[in-house]
Amino acid sequence: MLKKLLKYEWKDTRKLLLPINLAVVLMTIIGCLMLSTRIFDSEMGFLLAAPLLVLYILAIITFSCITLVYVYTRFYRNLYTAEGYLMHTLPVTHTQLFHSKLIMGCFWFSLNSLLTTLSASALGGSVGFHETAKEISGEISESFIDDFIFATGQNPDSFSFADIFGFTLPAFILFLFVMLLVSSLSSVLIGYVSVLLGQQMERNKLAAAIAFYFGIYMGFQILTSLAVAIPELLNLGKYLEDDSANILADSFRTLFPSMIVCYLVVDVIFYVICRILVKRQVNLD
Amino acid sequence: MTLLECKNLSKTYGKHTALNDISLQIDGGHIIGLLGPNGSGKTTLIKLITGLLCPTAGAVYVKEEPIGPVSKSLISYLPDHTYLNGNLRVREIIDFFADFYEDFDSLRAYDMMAKLQINPCQKLKTLSKGTQEKVQLILVMSRHASLYILDEPLAGVDPAARDYILDTILSNYDENASILISTHLISDIENILDEVIFLKDGHLHTHALVDELREKDHKSVDTIFREVFKC
Repeated sequence: MLKKLLKYEWKDTRKLLLPINLAVVLMTIIGCLMLSTRIFDSEMGFLLAAPLLVLYILAIITFSCITLVYVYTRFYRNLYTAEGYLMHTLPVTHTQLFHSKLIMGCFWFSLNSLLTTLSASALGGSVGFHETAKEISGEISESFIDDFIFATGQNPDSFSFADIFGFTLPAFILFLFVMLLVSSLSSVLIGYVSVLLGQQMERNKLAAAIAFYFGIYMGFQILTSLAVAIPELLNLGKYLEDDSANILADSFRTLFPSMIVCYLVVDVIFYVICRILVKRQVNLD
Repeated sequence: MTLLECKNLSKTYGKHTALNDISLQIDGGHIIGLLGPNGSGKTTLIKLITGLLCPTAGAVYVKEEPIGPVSKSLISYLPDHTYLNGNLRVREIIDFFADFYEDFDSLRAYDMMAKLQINPCQKLKTLSKGTQEKVQLILVMSRHASLYILDEPLAGVDPAARDYILDTILSNYDENASILISTHLISDIENILDEVIFLKDGHLHTHALVDELREKDHKSVDTIFREVFKC
């Protein structure tokens, strides 16, 4: 039954979220194509680039917000309003209903986060590529790509990617990907747990859910800030004693694992709370 | 085997008691009227049976199964309001029902839609309110369920539509299945009822066979109802 629930969850959510994610891809392609021309070289071009960049950032933020709000409202509307009369009378368990929403919600939010990261990287890479091209005209692409491969490899005599960021490029991407998944799960679970807590109230369930969301979100932000700050504070003594310490690389080496552990702990706690609340039978108005 | 059993069922909302210690049994092959004025607890009882509410005390069993996926697969439920996603096309909703309910008869659903000239490719929200209600009824009655629970199926519809609804209900349920109908419009359904359940202020007032009730009081169910619930 979970497969069937996922099938219908996919069919319903893709109507809005697929075009949004395709728009991110389209914006990236157009951005990269524009950067490949000399359109921004002139003074007028530069004046055009600034508003386009602002528009791009605004669009990316809007798409992320729409994705998150849609995932939350879908969970609420589909399970706890009139549509809940259909969903909760299907021959499925409450846990299956919850898992179908969680899996699809995480999928969409992770996809959006991944595409946003790739989009920013592609546009940043494009700028770097064309800047190099301008400096070394002639052997444009070969030079940039050779430098890139050289920098991302293990080169003991030079500043490689690993020297700067603390990880080799594949390890860095892997950590980034894991972090993206666990943070997406946290974002989705915060909304779901808030809706479920709101449902425990006798009245004003939606208002209670929104209040719970802001309360939990603030607590979550404090916790993740501590997860970043504490390892950095522990490293502070080392930086003061050793001038040659690579602060950025050390930061990444401690930041990634501590953030991932923090998100994982929060995910497990929220998931357990959700399971407990979902197992209690619904009380639809 | 008893089809539906409610054991000492109670539901309270804060200090308000919506249902108080309801115990009843329903067997297969009957049409039962769940009758009572507004606020008597009819919809609360229905929601408890369908698993949309959790009881404060007591339990519900459908064919000896507690409320859960198995009991839900045996019940075909029509709520008292629109509950389907209006953005879906009628055929998409039929596919949805066919996917989740093994006892759903798609051919019967399409046949009834055709008789009413409802285009399955139309979105639900583009249909009139009355037609949306008919679509919901068709979906519910296209199942070969053991227990049909219809919450106010006649409310707010014109007399011609009432006839269609009653005809649809009567011509589409299995002999061994039971139908529990909640309504105020007793005179419209009195002739088809086998049993009645009167709920008064959250209490079970009467649960009797219609024929026995008529013979005992020499009055129609509608008259008895008016006397019991006289304001």
